[in-house]
Amino acid sequence: MAELAVRPIEISAARARRRAPGAAVLRLAAGLVILLIWQGVVGALAPAYVAKPSGVIAAIPEVIVKPEFLDATAQTLVAVAEGLGIALALGTVIGLVMGRSIIVERSLRHYVNGFYAVPMIVVLPLVSLWFGYTGAARLATIVFAGLFSIIVNVADGAKSVSQEYLEVARSFGSGRLRTMIDIVLPSATPYFLAGFRLAAGRALLGAVVAEFYTAIGGLGFFILYQSRTYHHNEAFVGVLLLAAFGVGFELLINRTTRRLLPWYRRDEGVD
Amino acid sequence: MRHEFIYYRVPFVLSLIAGMALWEIVGRHTSAAFLVPLSTTLVRLWSMVASGQLVSQFLNSAALFVTGFALALVLGAPLGLLLARVRLLRIAVEPYVMILYATPMVALIPFILSMMGFGFVPKVLVVFLFAIFPILYNTVEGARSIKPELIEVARSFRSSEWALWRDVMVPYTLPFTMTGVRQAIGRGLVGMVAAEFFLSSTGLGQIIMTASQNFDTAGVFASILIIGLIGVGLMRVGLYIEARFARWRH
Repeated sequence: MAELAVRPIEISAARARRRAPGAAVLRLAAGLVILLIWQGVVGALAPAYVAKPSGVIAAIPEVIVKPEFLDATAQTLVAVAEGLGIALALGTVIGLVMGRSIIVERSLRHYVNGFYAVPMIVVLPLVSLWFGYTGAARLATIVFAGLFSIIVNVADGAKSVSQEYLEVARSFGSGRLRTMIDIVLPSATPYFLAGFRLAAGRALLGAVVAEFYTAIGGLGFFILYQSRTYHHNEAFVGVLLLAAFGVGFELLINRTTRRLLPWYRRDEGVD
Repeated sequence: MRHEFIYYRVPFVLSLIAGMALWEIVGRHTSAAFLVPLSTTLVRLWSMVASGQLVSQFLNSAALFVTGFALALVLGAPLGLLLARVRLLRIAVEPYVMILYATPMVALIPFILSMMGFGFVPKVLVVFLFAIFPILYNTVEGARSIKPELIEVARSFRSSEWALWRDVMVPYTLPFTMTGVRQAIGRGLVGMVAAEFFLSSTGLGQIIMTASQNFDTAGVFASILIIGLIGVGLMRVGLYIEARFARWRH
């Protein structure tokens, strides 16, 4: 207990150290060094079409106003959002039931863990067989990619609910559904967020590989097409955008976790 | 004992039987282009094993995975430890490690393809890129959690640099590195299949691609089953490694 009481102070001290004015300068300098090395190595050794920082920076204003780029971005984002929505809804319900019912848990656990461990990319040939080379195949890949990390984490969260809360709820005559919504769901929130964070990363990956495989329009296909036609700088703008989505999501979840659950340290998630 | 038997073993075995039965029954009542029953899948799997095709392609994939993963480990772990020790360096590159960790590395495959072509090396590079950042990221996270007091105390007791590494740095960050290793196993496997799909087609990825192009649904299911089982097995190994080292964590 004593250790817990000390912890927040330590964290804020660590944060204060990190926020020292030197840190930002140092990071910026490191970034510049990385870019310079990249520029130098590619400039000296690689053929002219290979992406280098100067070329990518020059390509950014051109690419981000191209209708085909905007269209591709929108397609990928909409598919990821839809897929994640489906995975969230399904995953939360299945996870909650698994976490609260030992029989369901024991019967489904192995399947969920099994599907979770399957490298999701192997479903591509199957979904393209089922749905053809269409957006539905991409959506199915995204759902498959995201679903199981949500189930696993929500189930763990629902299992971790303190027994006392449940007893109090029961003794006040709370129904099963009510307990689920008012007690189990809130206390599973940190796990849910951890699962969501993993699911989002996997969903983005799923969307890109599905677009590579089926050649349907989207950011992944944009990258593929541009690099095939030796427009590496233009293609790399797409990679930057994907990286921005990945990082942006990570930051969003971290911030939400800190805001909603300041006492919770996220490193419990399972990848 | 009885309790454990009823709650653990019985539902597990029943659900396994139910799952297999469901697959068999649904498979028999749908078009074979869509889903084939478990029995057909197993027969097809056996024919792949008997022809020697599965074993040789498995070895091919294994060589790719092991090479890429081993490179990621021998480069990622020491680099992570170095970042752990040299605080300035860590502060400087931390955000970039995090960015690369969160970027879907698969997006780099088209570049690798057009620059490096179809050989073994570009595929190893893909597995390596998928696997290294979880190891590096988690090691750096671990390093961040080392209490500065520990290092100060070690120093004030005139600990040598070697002793500091041996008794503070490595024991403290290794459990985090192992979390990274577990993640890297999963990601590396995705990288392996992605490389086999999108670069030159070899290994288990080739089996599944060929089956899918020939509309050999049984072949697709058989190879997904095999890759899935490998994934489950490797995940187990990863969790075991992580759990072994997690005992050190406070």
